[in-house]
Amino acid sequence: MSAVVIDYGMGNVASVQKALRFLNIDSIVSNDITAIQHATSLILPGVGAFAQGMHNLRESGLIEVLHQEVMNHKKPFLGICLGMQLLATTGTEPHTCEGLGWIEGTVRKMEEPTLAIPHLGWNTVERTRESEIIQHDQVDCYFIHSYHFDVADPKVVLATVDYGSTYVAAIEQDNIFAAQFHPEKSQDAGLAMLTQFFKKHA
Amino acid sequence: MLKVRIIPVLTFNGFGLVKTKQFQQPRMVGNPVQAARVYNSRGVDELLFLDIFASKQQRKLNLKIVSDVIRECFMPVGIGGGVDSIEDIQALLKIGADKVVIKTAALNDPDFVRKAADFFGAQCISVAVDAYLDDSGIYRIYTTEKGSIPANEFIQSMAEKGAGELVLTSVDRDGMMQGFDVELVKLAEKNCQLPIVVSGGGGEPAHFTELFSQTNCGAVAAASVFHFTQFTPLDIKRELGAIGKPVRL
Repeated sequence: MSAVVIDYGMGNVASVQKALRFLNIDSIVSNDITAIQHATSLILPGVGAFAQGMHNLRESGLIEVLHQEVMNHKKPFLGICLGMQLLATTGTEPHTCEGLGWIEGTVRKMEEPTLAIPHLGWNTVERTRESEIIQHDQVDCYFIHSYHFDVADPKVVLATVDYGSTYVAAIEQDNIFAAQFHPEKSQDAGLAMLTQFFKKHA
Repeated sequence: MLKVRIIPVLTFNGFGLVKTKQFQQPRMVGNPVQAARVYNSRGVDELLFLDIFASKQQRKLNLKIVSDVIRECFMPVGIGGGVDSIEDIQALLKIGADKVVIKTAALNDPDFVRKAADFFGAQCISVAVDAYLDDSGIYRIYTTEKGSIPANEFIQSMAEKGAGELVLTSVDRDGMMQGFDVELVKLAEKNCQLPIVVSGGGGEPAHFTELFSQTNCGAVAAASVFHFTQFTPLDIKRELGAIGKPVRL
């Protein structure tokens, strides 16, 4: 019994697994349907374009099993960066396409005429409500993205980040926790969130 | 608010860490894995690892060593050296690199940057811009020697090809520890909107506060100051914090 880091050819799997190993969380990297069904929790990392990510999930035949496990069986789910964005109803990178649709909203290009895009570097994650997973009102985490998740229902937002405008930094809804930043790259602050995620769902 | 980044840079020669002066006289300064471990424990914002002789010696990066370096790091890591194919980038991202730094391949074939950015996303494609000031006062690109391409043209073309970030190094200031080339940074800022990591010349905290107060610079890479002085990245960030720059302490 272990956590499964979903392998769908979209980057940073090694970093996520390294962080889990450091925290003594058993995990395997897999795209096997049976492994996903038996997993204690599911982690969807990801770097790259939205449409490519959905394409890869579809090609690997994972969309149905993920929906079944996360939405129906309420298995603990952690999404990181693209792995958060893919939860949206709709993506636009590089063209309009359907997402997993678990969290209503659209992923759009960030438009900040006076700021560099991608939004890249350490920025303050501001918690908008109490949560076991993010334990501080403000904490610096590492961001690297050009698209943002414009959620339809503000209640799902757990934290925001200010980069010209206010953007969604983290989402928490029932068994789902997802971050636009990279907890696995955010040193002690990020490792603490991962620890709390697994503690909450132990 | 976005924090300014202080990035130790590890320059590698295929065997160990080296530090150059004006891109010459590589001097051995230690073991990359140990250095990465120390920087991780000091909570640095990011780490750059560059095999500065890979292209010149037509070598590929030693993925075993790179992977050992990355394993020490719970912060972002950028890796460069001889990267000239999609497969090279794939291999580096697979072992946990967050960014790759491209130089020689970007000069030989600017379209490679476009291809890489389209394939992997601009956020993981950095381009190294190594520039020197020629006798007539024009900044030009240094390849394995002083080249003729004007720096402003190269920077514009890299922005147009979709690079996500520039690592801008002053060859003249490299290893000299006498301050950054502020004019070069201003030139780069005028020619692109990209995030720029400035490198070359930082020898003491005052050099960093000078750079950050005279430019819009958001990140700086340094090696000598950390190898050869008592100053740590945290010391520099405290000084930057004192002049009102947002830092992660």
